[in-house]
Amino acid sequence: MTTLPRTASQPKKKFRLGRLFSQSGAYGILLVGLLVTLVPFIWMLLTSLKSSQEIIQIPPTFIPEKWTFESYRTIFSDPRVPLARFYLNSFFVAGSRVAITLFTSSLAGFIFAKYKFWGAKASFSFILMQLMIPFQVVMIPAYLILVKLHLVDSLWGLIIPSMVDAFGIFFMRQFIESLPNELIDAARIDGASEFGIYWRIILPQLGAAMATLGIFTFMGTWNDYLWPLVVITSHEKRTLPLLLTWYNSVHGTRYDLTMAASILVLLPIMVVYLMFQRWIVRGISMTGIK
Amino acid sequence: MAITERRGFRILKPAGNAAGQKRFVVAGLTPIMLYMIFFAILPMVWAVALGFFDYSPIRAGSGFLGLGGVNPFVGLDNYRAMFDDSQPARVFRMAVRNTAIFAALVLPINLLITLPLAAVVESVHDRFKRFFRAIYFMPTISSSVAVAVMWGYIFNPSQGLLNTLIKAVGLTPPKAWLTNPSAVYFGVPLAMIAVIIAYLWQDFGYNLVIFIAALQGIPSEIKDAAQVDGANAWQTFWKITVPLLKPTLLFVCVLTMLSSLQVFVIFDVMTNGGPRNQTTPLVMSIYENAFRYQNMGWAAAISMVLFIMILIITIIQFRFLRTDWEY
Repeated sequence: MTTLPRTASQPKKKFRLGRLFSQSGAYGILLVGLLVTLVPFIWMLLTSLKSSQEIIQIPPTFIPEKWTFESYRTIFSDPRVPLARFYLNSFFVAGSRVAITLFTSSLAGFIFAKYKFWGAKASFSFILMQLMIPFQVVMIPAYLILVKLHLVDSLWGLIIPSMVDAFGIFFMRQFIESLPNELIDAARIDGASEFGIYWRIILPQLGAAMATLGIFTFMGTWNDYLWPLVVITSHEKRTLPLLLTWYNSVHGTRYDLTMAASILVLLPIMVVYLMFQRWIVRGISMTGIK
Repeated sequence: MAITERRGFRILKPAGNAAGQKRFVVAGLTPIMLYMIFFAILPMVWAVALGFFDYSPIRAGSGFLGLGGVNPFVGLDNYRAMFDDSQPARVFRMAVRNTAIFAALVLPINLLITLPLAAVVESVHDRFKRFFRAIYFMPTISSSVAVAVMWGYIFNPSQGLLNTLIKAVGLTPPKAWLTNPSAVYFGVPLAMIAVIIAYLWQDFGYNLVIFIAALQGIPSEIKDAAQVDGANAWQTFWKITVPLLKPTLLFVCVLTMLSSLQVFVIFDVMTNGGPRNQTTPLVMSIYENAFRYQNMGWAAAISMVLFIMILIITIIQFRFLRTDWEY
């Protein structure tokens, strides 16, 4: 932890758990963890760069004997796999859900944080109650509602049932509560409307909270599988995880192809992660968001 | 405008008009509350109701929401049927058992990995700490489907990485990880063990990050004081760090428990419930009965069992997730 030289005034500083393993032991453990974490990813990547002959060799090779992009070319040129379409589906659903969730969460969070009104406490507890209802339990009626709304087999069917997020409202309320009331009072004196206060005063202050909630909503939607599996039936409306299971069922043992397809599904989320790593880690540490 | 003169002081009244604020609250909150009633409360009530009916969406029932008529009210029959000797009831009981085994194994193993590992990560230099934490979290943000497809390949008996490694060190690997129904160790099917390994690999980063944050929150003075009093590192960890982590530990236990009760994707992709339903979790059983066999009344009753399991864990959380002290 500390890079300071140990002096007589701080003799016990290094005497922590780290000492138990000694520093080199600690790094040894961390490196083993690193291998366990990364080898499956590397194996997936390397497999996707092997030729179709090489992947059926027994025992398998780890590093490709001949590096090739054959598998990616096969996927890109497969007329049954219009990749751009599937990426667009996933981005459309995830993007819409992020935008809508951020709006509804911040608006409701603002109201609960800064307004006193009759029934405030009851309505907020009502919203918190939703957190106890797991999606899998209400999945069947949610599907029957979509049937009535004629939204089955539509990408809107993935968006409309999750436009309000109880956790998002709770999260935003906590954040907005900490903003000074003077900000709002000053705007009122200047004659701002209440919605104007939300839109021009509060929203610009929410950068960090919006980023955290937005990233988690995006990742959750991008990786969502069960609900799209229930709702989507036509091939061209599949989101990427659905595409991947379909592709996996068609090309079961062509591991060069399935690994390449997996890489293509993972790629955008990895980019998002590497860009926002700090936010993601901070978000979990602060709130236990998942 | 909102400033009045009184006794020479200028007093600031709460600005804005109360009617405008009220309008804003009503206009902003009403749609959200109505939405919640329609998309959260209605489905919950509906799910409870469905559990008392023999309901299938392919039969157009006559009553409200299609309940009644050819989709008759059957009272507690769906729940009674859970104890029957019929095939669906046996599969259901297996699903409960599988889910319980899964959750019961995942929780302790996860904690045994993540808590010590978090302590180790915490003990190294800041820059390395961030690096390792970032890498360890990569599986957690990955799409479960991609992770499951990848682990399916790793567990492939002839071409997979795992058996190749086992052979390389001179041991005899299992002939089939995911498909052999008679491979059972200590009552746990081998396919279940394989899925648990894959799930732990994907999920450990989450608890790790929480534990690291919690460890960082413990003031080092407390540990230093213990050491001044003559405690060794091991004692400090067990007697100081772990008790101080109690709230976090409980939170992590509950969250890990809840998400392992709701597991679906990794089973669906890696084993599809097989062999012989040895890896069918409750959610898969709900999904299959509702959407493959269109037997939604029965599936709703199963979902109520899942709900009660989750509710119990949640209540335990509210009960115990209070601390009597601060540091």
